[in-house]
Amino acid sequence: MLHFLVNWLASTPSFATPYALAALGLIISERVGVLSLGAEGFLLVGALAGVAADLEFGGLPAAALVVAMLAAAAVSLLFALLVVVLRVNQVIAGLAIVFFCQGLTSLVGTLGGWTNRAIAGLHAVAIWPLSAIPFAGRILFTQDLVVFATVPIFFLVSRILSRSMLGLRLRSVGENPDAADATGVSVSLYRFGAVLAGSALIGLAGGYLSVVDVKIWIPDMTGGRGWIAIALVIFARWQPWRALFGALLFGCIEALIPRIAAAGIQAPQYFLLMTPYLATIAVMVWVGLTKLGRLKEPAALGRPHVREERR
Amino acid sequence: MFKKLALVAGAAALLAAGSAWGANGFTLKGPPKVAFLYFKAKNDGGWTQAFDEARPKMEKALGMRIPYVENIAEDAAQITPPAEKFIQRGYNIVIGTAFGYSDTFKELAKKYPDIAFLNAAGVTNGPNLQSFYGRTYQSQYLCGMVAGAMTKSNKLGFVGANPFGLVNWTINAYEMGARRVNPKATLHVVFTGAWNDPVKERAAAEALADEGVDVIGQHVDTPTPQIVAQERHIYGTGHHRDMRQFAPKATLCSSVWVWAKYLIPEIKKIEAGNWHPNPYGDFISIKDGGTDIACCNTVVPKKVVKEVMAARQDIIDGKFHIYAGPIKDRNGKLRVAAGKVISDADLWKMNWYVPGVITQQK
Repeated sequence: MLHFLVNWLASTPSFATPYALAALGLIISERVGVLSLGAEGFLLVGALAGVAADLEFGGLPAAALVVAMLAAAAVSLLFALLVVVLRVNQVIAGLAIVFFCQGLTSLVGTLGGWTNRAIAGLHAVAIWPLSAIPFAGRILFTQDLVVFATVPIFFLVSRILSRSMLGLRLRSVGENPDAADATGVSVSLYRFGAVLAGSALIGLAGGYLSVVDVKIWIPDMTGGRGWIAIALVIFARWQPWRALFGALLFGCIEALIPRIAAAGIQAPQYFLLMTPYLATIAVMVWVGLTKLGRLKEPAALGRPHVREERR
Repeated sequence: MFKKLALVAGAAALLAAGSAWGANGFTLKGPPKVAFLYFKAKNDGGWTQAFDEARPKMEKALGMRIPYVENIAEDAAQITPPAEKFIQRGYNIVIGTAFGYSDTFKELAKKYPDIAFLNAAGVTNGPNLQSFYGRTYQSQYLCGMVAGAMTKSNKLGFVGANPFGLVNWTINAYEMGARRVNPKATLHVVFTGAWNDPVKERAAAEALADEGVDVIGQHVDTPTPQIVAQERHIYGTGHHRDMRQFAPKATLCSSVWVWAKYLIPEIKKIEAGNWHPNPYGDFISIKDGGTDIACCNTVVPKKVVKEVMAARQDIIDGKFHIYAGPIKDRNGKLRVAAGKVISDADLWKMNWYVPGVITQQK
């Protein structure tokens, strides 16, 4: 039983990390008022770019993850151009980006010959001597480098958002772009930058899925995880640490499902596969009923900003 | 009018259960021209790629060029236009490659009675339409034998997509094959609920490895379980194609598709005229192609390989039936009576497991 518990908890961070990074990327973009429904697409771009870079550069997983971030940011330029400069409806632009990226990654993966090729990828490392601690060493200190980097990344982003001048400006653009504009903050520039930075993090999450997790690129391999990240952001009420908690909750459940089956514990399969989504609904209800519900979404979320427009 | 009458006659023949389709079979109006509709990309590493590997062999044997279109989703709006384009260009044998083409192919077959339609993994048939699928339990039984011989922990694992007939029959056969050479072998099964989700497949394979499983079989579409097996220094057996390509150290053998062996003679039969499609579809065994075992990795002892190949020969010669009774399920209920072989209908609706299979289902 203890063996089962330790193995389960030790595998949780690698499931939680892509959700956490993607949700954090979405929070950055949404806190400046840009609803980024294209997450699933950026995940795919990151996943393909990561594997492609790993294959082309001869197995440098860290470089592959950087390429994954850059590639997702590059594709998000198109999204940013649509919603920030051209002020296209953000919902429609986001959905279009998802379908665009699905086609693009399938095509480029085939043309480049990167589909269905196993890579060595990034492996877990044990931080000695901490990893020698019974149980906790295996769970907390025998993970891959991206898992270790995730907490500092969260700390940094949450610190910037809530404690710095840059964060104040970013948030003001998302809450009241007219006021921000009046104080001399360039709404378009901040939104552009936030979309790029956020998408890079989503690309990192995608690269994690392919380079660190499954170590292969297969078209449409993200399996809807971008949409789960979007739900995570909503129930985290756009707060980074809550998103990390939500990602861990999802990771726990996703890691548990196959383990129940492998151990031969009799439980209805389709009910178990449903549990992450039931958890989403349950947390949403809980958030709605408690004071957490008072944390509102960014007031200008989804609204294109037109300078000095009368409303 | 005449065509309608012919259709009515065809329908009447369908009602006469067990009888062939009318007195006269299907005959092409001209020389055969074959075209493929692929479900996924031609290099998908599995199901579709197996067809694309059969295609050049068919081209050579039949002396023609065989065109294809890729990535045709299981949706009438996606299937019909390329199929009709081929027909307009004079192609008269159209081969589909997905279960979800079944209904659309049925419609097309009615609309174009002069064209022959074949569909892999389909469930619809007609006077000019035949579905076909391989008896994968034969090849997976042989893989189970290899797994049973190679395990040290006596715990085997299996990553499956969904618990229904055609996955369940491979699981049961795998365990029966394993028990033939190793009566202590048990099979731990994880269903991912998806055919093509490498993240879930890795989760399943890792969970199995953590449970102490040392050979992982699979009936899902990506090679991920094999890659995990290699990382964890255990073994695996593949599906669809020879997966030693992905995990040269771990993959012991694979249950593979060999479509050319079936399609070349079948197309020759259509070409010869008076073709009678099987009213229940063609359900092909190793003897006629469809499925086979790619055997074996060099780590498998010669003695085991010999035993597996002998069992394969017995299946081909009809001396050995995997689902020959008596077979009891793991709850002790008799599922196949002594002296009987399971019917195809019972295979397709198989919802029970043989002793030694450990699942989360009851």
